[in-house]
Amino acid sequence: MPGIDACLHEIMALPGARGAAIVDWTSGLALGTAGESPNGDHETTATETAELARVAAEYPAFAPAAERIRPEAGNAKGPPVEDLIVTTRTGYHVLRFVETTFDSSVFLHLWLDRDTGNLALARLRLQQLAERLVLA
Amino acid sequence: MNADTAARAASSAPTVSPVSPMLVRLADERATGALLRDHGTLYLSEGRVVHAESPVAPGIDTLLTTGGRLPRDGWQRAVDEAGARGAVGRFLVDSGRIGGGELEICHLGALYDAAFFALAPGSGPTRFRYGVAHWIGPVRPVPAAAVERETRRRRELLDQVWPYPAVDTSPVVPRAPAPGQSVTHRQRALLELADGVRTPAAIAWALGRPAFHTLLEVRRLAAAGLVGTPPDPPRDARPVLPGWIAEVSDPDIGLLRRLRDALEASL
Repeated sequence: MPGIDACLHEIMALPGARGAAIVDWTSGLALGTAGESPNGDHETTATETAELARVAAEYPAFAPAAERIRPEAGNAKGPPVEDLIVTTRTGYHVLRFVETTFDSSVFLHLWLDRDTGNLALARLRLQQLAERLVLA
Repeated sequence: MNADTAARAASSAPTVSPVSPMLVRLADERATGALLRDHGTLYLSEGRVVHAESPVAPGIDTLLTTGGRLPRDGWQRAVDEAGARGAVGRFLVDSGRIGGGELEICHLGALYDAAFFALAPGSGPTRFRYGVAHWIGPVRPVPAAAVERETRRRRELLDQVWPYPAVDTSPVVPRAPAPGQSVTHRQRALLELADGVRTPAAIAWALGRPAFHTLLEVRRLAAAGLVGTPPDPPRDARPVLPGWIAEVSDPDIGLLRRLRDALEASL
């Protein structure tokens, strides 16, 4: 997988995709963005989605103790949460956590038009892309 | 939200002075070279930031090798093979040691992290060496303005979370959680290394995490009462050198030499 820009490009090829970003949820930094942003400013959107992702990634409610100790998970350092879906009146937001083998806190954010987007397809595609993004 | 963003942009544009006026000027003239400051170095290529390093922030080598992503000798081999032609990043990807996306994620994290410390307010001279390039080579250049904005945002973020900067440079002293208070997975890893001696930067090096991320996490922990907040030192008694300089376990000798050379050249 060539990198961040190619990944964002493929996300934007999904039907109904309005905007996409790859964001660090500890700091709220947007590492890369494409398309539109819901509030006209990708950096502000990144800080807001990062807050949501951080809460989901870290609250013990979503991380049962048994799940944290999985020897077969090997080097996996990602959070136990796979993705978050926020539904609004006009769109969907899918936040997909990226599992890296070094210590990181990164997710993909896709903003999807409610009428033209296909949430099930987008969710599957984001999962594939998150995996390919870190493939050597 | 639009009005809010616009208002903020309007209020920040004329009143906030740039984090580094020299960086703004160099970006405007599309300069290539190394910007040497008190607490780190920014590498520019045609006005864009291609790399940054600071003695406080763990470098990309530490981030990749501490977490077990790359064996130490694998990293060294890449530096030996491709360092001289300034293409270590390219070599790591082409030789299948790391994916292109993963390298970009890690490198951007290290770049913004080091830039935050390199652009910290300092009284020392700022110098620019034209033509100097870093051996890592191009990975994902970012606009200098984005680095400026992000550095300013990070300073504000720290103060929003817990406005006590003394926490950043003091040894981290854990406190027992209140009944029912939970500690997150990543916080627990940090607290396990908080032995009352290590500073946030030292913990960042030990964990292989960006130093700013660790500062932020420690401020969050302090705000939650899970680590102690030391009293602010009286303003007059502030040391000339920040405390973390003495705490850094692995100083970047090359950077220190360049700083010394730069100082000698300007005296």
